[in-house]
Amino acid sequence: MASVLDVQSLSVEFQVNGRYLPAVTNVSLTIEQGETLGLVGESGCGKSVTSLAITRLLSKTARVNGKVLFSGPDPAQRNPVPSSGPEEVSARNVRERELLTVRDKDMQDIRGNEISMIFQEPMTSLNPVYKIGSQISETLLLHQNISPRQAFSQSLEMLKKVGISRPEQIMHQYPHQLSGGMRQRVMIAIAMACNPRLLIADEPTTALDVTIQAQILELMKGITRDFGTSLLLITHDLGVVAEMCNRVAVMYAGEIVEQGSVDEVFFNAKHPYTVGLMNAIPKFDATSKERLQPIEGNVPSIARMPKGCRFAPRCPHVMKQCVEQHPDLFEVENGHQSRCWLSVEGEA
Amino acid sequence: MASVLLEVEELKKYFPSGGGFLERSTGSVRAVDGISLKVYEGETLGIVGESGCGKSTLGRSILRLIEPTSGRVTFHGTDILKLRKSAMRDMRKEMQIVFQDPYASLNPRYTISQTLMEPMEIHQLYNHASRKQRVQSILERVGLDPSYASRFPHEFSGGQRQRIGIARALVLNPKLIILDEPVAALDVSVQSQVINLLEDLQADFGLTYIFVAHDLSVVKHISNRVLVMYLGKMAELASSDDLFFRPLHPYTRALLSAVPIPNPRVKRERIILSGDIPSPVNPPSGCVFHTRCPIAKDVCRQQVPEWRELRREHFVACHFAEDVDVETNSLPLGRR
Repeated sequence: MASVLDVQSLSVEFQVNGRYLPAVTNVSLTIEQGETLGLVGESGCGKSVTSLAITRLLSKTARVNGKVLFSGPDPAQRNPVPSSGPEEVSARNVRERELLTVRDKDMQDIRGNEISMIFQEPMTSLNPVYKIGSQISETLLLHQNISPRQAFSQSLEMLKKVGISRPEQIMHQYPHQLSGGMRQRVMIAIAMACNPRLLIADEPTTALDVTIQAQILELMKGITRDFGTSLLLITHDLGVVAEMCNRVAVMYAGEIVEQGSVDEVFFNAKHPYTVGLMNAIPKFDATSKERLQPIEGNVPSIARMPKGCRFAPRCPHVMKQCVEQHPDLFEVENGHQSRCWLSVEGEA
Repeated sequence: MASVLLEVEELKKYFPSGGGFLERSTGSVRAVDGISLKVYEGETLGIVGESGCGKSTLGRSILRLIEPTSGRVTFHGTDILKLRKSAMRDMRKEMQIVFQDPYASLNPRYTISQTLMEPMEIHQLYNHASRKQRVQSILERVGLDPSYASRFPHEFSGGQRQRIGIARALVLNPKLIILDEPVAALDVSVQSQVINLLEDLQADFGLTYIFVAHDLSVVKHISNRVLVMYLGKMAELASSDDLFFRPLHPYTRALLSAVPIPNPRVKRERIILSGDIPSPVNPPSGCVFHTRCPIAKDVCRQQVPEWRELRREHFVACHFAEDVDVETNSLPLGRR
């Protein structure tokens, strides 16, 4: 079966002062059914822009190239009753579509229905003047042929599934009456209401406290497992990646620099940037106080991207070739790729 | 052991709450509710807790940037809460603060040189020429090119701005620096640069730090001792190693187990606390943590736990800290 999401050579450029600047360059990634892919990188590396390009939520000033293949249920044969198990999802008649070229109307049908998103700040993504119940129902009414009454009872079910206590009361409350963790649960309820094939979560726990983050991560794990949903998890926290993901793609300056299974990338990191990131974070389980090894320098500005490898100016292993020639994403091992000239020699 | 530089006794800060324009306030938010601690010369005391636990208010109350409601803060033998405004201003030469947001804490219309000169002008230290020279040397010391002095904050990245914030705190040669989430707004690669810088400066200038943060890995890395706060109160205080490897308070334990560890092969038993942090306007009776505590019993609802030294230099406020200590490896999750 085809991957749920197959992004091929996605590039995004923004027009700034009459000039197009590259925010995302040549990003390719796939997500299989039920899989969680982590997209990590520091601020400005293009991870959020990638997700917005996939869902076509970027403004018109952005120039998007490449292909985003999404295989979702064939609209012609969609079951009107929402299914709730992984086997039913795979049994649906699946059709592949290229999201960058489908009509706006079709894209609206896909968003919130087959692909849904959760953002970092739950307060800004919920509407402050509507009650929680009607915000979940809205999604259901928009995408499914059901009555408001049915939508209401399904919304209530969703609130129960995301572990909200007193769901009957919460249905009639406004976002400002809820805590940050509860709001994020409501966002997850809205996102999962139509049982999407793909959930994109952009820093879903960054604004939350650790103990609340633990609750939400646990919830997302359970939900993706029970519903068989694929998850694209965007984060800057390597701890969250280690905990949640099957595979991980590391982004730097608009490009994927390393990609592979979580185990491979954490224990056999090939790209100097990935290695640098791992060494830069304080080890929580370390007994001795080791000095941190920071990555010197700063991320290059997108207006002045280095010609060769974009990490070359900060790389401890920089060679002549790195400055002159831009490296491809080389296969290190099966499914493990690294955008570094050293990775080529390692293989040879 | 080194001498005590700062001693905080029964410090409280209550903010009025409720009410509104022309209305009486109806209650108070107990942001800091009876904190007592000592800070030793040359050490780094970490203060951790979740949002709203009062850790930042505590830091600011110590400097009297927020006027505490009651309590005592003794710095170098002087009770600074009794000082008058001008004497307090003099005292602040010795105690400086670095804020979280390097974007909001620098005046956008001042050049870096103006920002760094201002403290010396206020305190009338040095003449103009040596002030200038001092700016140059401090900039160099925090890893910035001295030629940047004539630039404005918007010309710098977040990490560079935080270096400027640190330089501003250093310029008066203080003894104590309160670091309020100094690396929270920075990316990982830059965060470690700033942490290393802070460690170097501490060694070179003999500084004492109070490091307020929510990121436990960072606090563990930088602190000698750590205080865990919950809802304005002290939950646990111990040396960094004791606290992280042998926690005695169920909240500390849950907090530690909640931190995602960047190692996919480590499988830990996670203690998931149910519910949210209660409102500090109306804190729970007895132990403030009992509403979320996995081992709470009746006594926890009724009696405020005593602050006691269960092991040497390891303080905790929990009725059942001994039980926690015994069951270091697993807490019964089902019990409430």
